[in-house]
Amino acid sequence: MGVADYFKPVETMTAEDVRAFIGKKKPDEYNLVDVRQPKEYERGHLPGARLIPVNDIPDRHKELDLNKPTIAY
Amino acid sequence: MLATLGFTNVSSMEGGINAWEGLRAAGPPETGMAHFPDGASPEVLLALAWLLEEGSRRFYAELSGSVDDKEAQKLFGDLATAEKHHEESLANLYTKLSGKEAKADFHRALIPNGTSEDIMEGGMSVTEGLSWAKGKGVRDVLELAISLEANAYDLYIKMDRNMGENAKARDVFSMLMLEEKQHLSRLASLLDRKL
Repeated sequence: MGVADYFKPVETMTAEDVRAFIGKKKPDEYNLVDVRQPKEYERGHLPGARLIPVNDIPDRHKELDLNKPTIAY
Repeated sequence: MLATLGFTNVSSMEGGINAWEGLRAAGPPETGMAHFPDGASPEVLLALAWLLEEGSRRFYAELSGSVDDKEAQKLFGDLATAEKHHEESLANLYTKLSGKEAKADFHRALIPNGTSEDIMEGGMSVTEGLSWAKGKGVRDVLELAISLEANAYDLYIKMDRNMGENAKARDVFSMLMLEEKQHLSRLASLLDRKL
């Protein structure tokens, strides 16, 4: 095996898929997580997105329900 | 990272907020999630981690000489040095676990094509990453570095789990996890100041 064989693609959704998904679900049925920095979040974010900057995820991921579908951006 | 932390159904939104707002910006090269085949030996995983650290070290060393921002130059230089220390920690652990000397090319027998593959954290090509970063502003480059360090943190969580009850190995991986988390915080803090 080469080094590249130890990686697999991350699951992704297009913005259109996300729009359709949150349009048909109730907000408490999924986690929508904005992993950018606070100033970026303040400038604009998806409706209902929760801010958890990527560097805080190791300490704050328990704030989310890990059994719900989770979309990060 | 969320998938590694136990989230069963995780997706990343392609193109991020720009795509949501209908913009099409050329994002950095895609990164992937590390996964190991069942039964991968600790020695092979150490060789893999060493190669990724070496790729990241080269990436940060190049960046520290090419970005205009003084604070970013300093941080990327510090990260290049830190990755070198990580390589040493991994090589020392290889010696402890295998009983063999970790020569400069110890990884070659374990991952034969590794040195020629030009890969860093997240499975990203060093050449592609540097090419993408060329001419970009400091914010874009910091965002790319943040995604690399998040991948490095994720990698060491997985490696730590893979070592089972091996206390020596888990001590080393705990230390590496902590340091990658600190790198992530330093990069995020600098990005926040540049926004």
